[in-house]
Amino acid sequence: MSRVKATVNFIHGWQHPDEIADEVEAELRFHVQMRTSANIEKGMTPDQAQLAARQSFGDFDRVKASCCEIKRGFPFDLKPMRMGLYIAIACLAGGVALVAVNLPHHNPFGVLWQLIAIAVLMRAFLIGRRKQ
Amino acid sequence: MSKAKAGLLQGTLDMLILKALFPGPLHGYGIGQRIAQISGDELKIEEGSLYPGLYRLERRGWIESEWDVSANNQRAKFYKLTRAGRKQLIIEERNWERLASATMKALRAN
Repeated sequence: MSRVKATVNFIHGWQHPDEIADEVEAELRFHVQMRTSANIEKGMTPDQAQLAARQSFGDFDRVKASCCEIKRGFPFDLKPMRMGLYIAIACLAGGVALVAVNLPHHNPFGVLWQLIAIAVLMRAFLIGRRKQ
Repeated sequence: MSKAKAGLLQGTLDMLILKALFPGPLHGYGIGQRIAQISGDELKIEEGSLYPGLYRLERRGWIESEWDVSANNQRAKFYKLTRAGRKQLIIEERNWERLASATMKALRAN
């Protein structure tokens, strides 16, 4: 799927969630019908065939919900964006640290800025490590 | 290995779906049938679990879908491999062969 098509589908999915649900349901129902027909051909009665088809399919509603969720999900890999965000935070924290270091630290305000810079850098470092 | 209990490793289902679609477009039911056929009926998957896999693969751009009319004149959604999907299948096959051979080597070690 091209990026443009994926984006259009994503927006359409959020605007018309019912259409997605209907489409998924139609697809899953087709599967159950096909399995039912195959079971009838094997010699089962229609009721037995349908029951067996539903059993072999598994939890219909759970599968449908799962498919709808995937279909409505964000179509791109978020990792590069997240990585960019961490780099931006790190640059910001570095800038803050640079400013703080250059502040005169013989007054309480300068010391406070340095402590804040250290806390921000530590926080960024911890978040970065946790994500790895 | 018991057919009913044969579980699939994470990612294996995706590879099997890609493999099943290699010869040409199929609907979801057909993909399940094809997987059973190419595995000699050794791999039994819960049929419903196929669909989240299909949707995930479509999102990754490895397969694409289109509604069409099936052999029994019903509307069905057909999936086909994209070029990226073909490349991914080759990668997955290589990785799987390497993993299987390493595992066998480990199991046969004294």
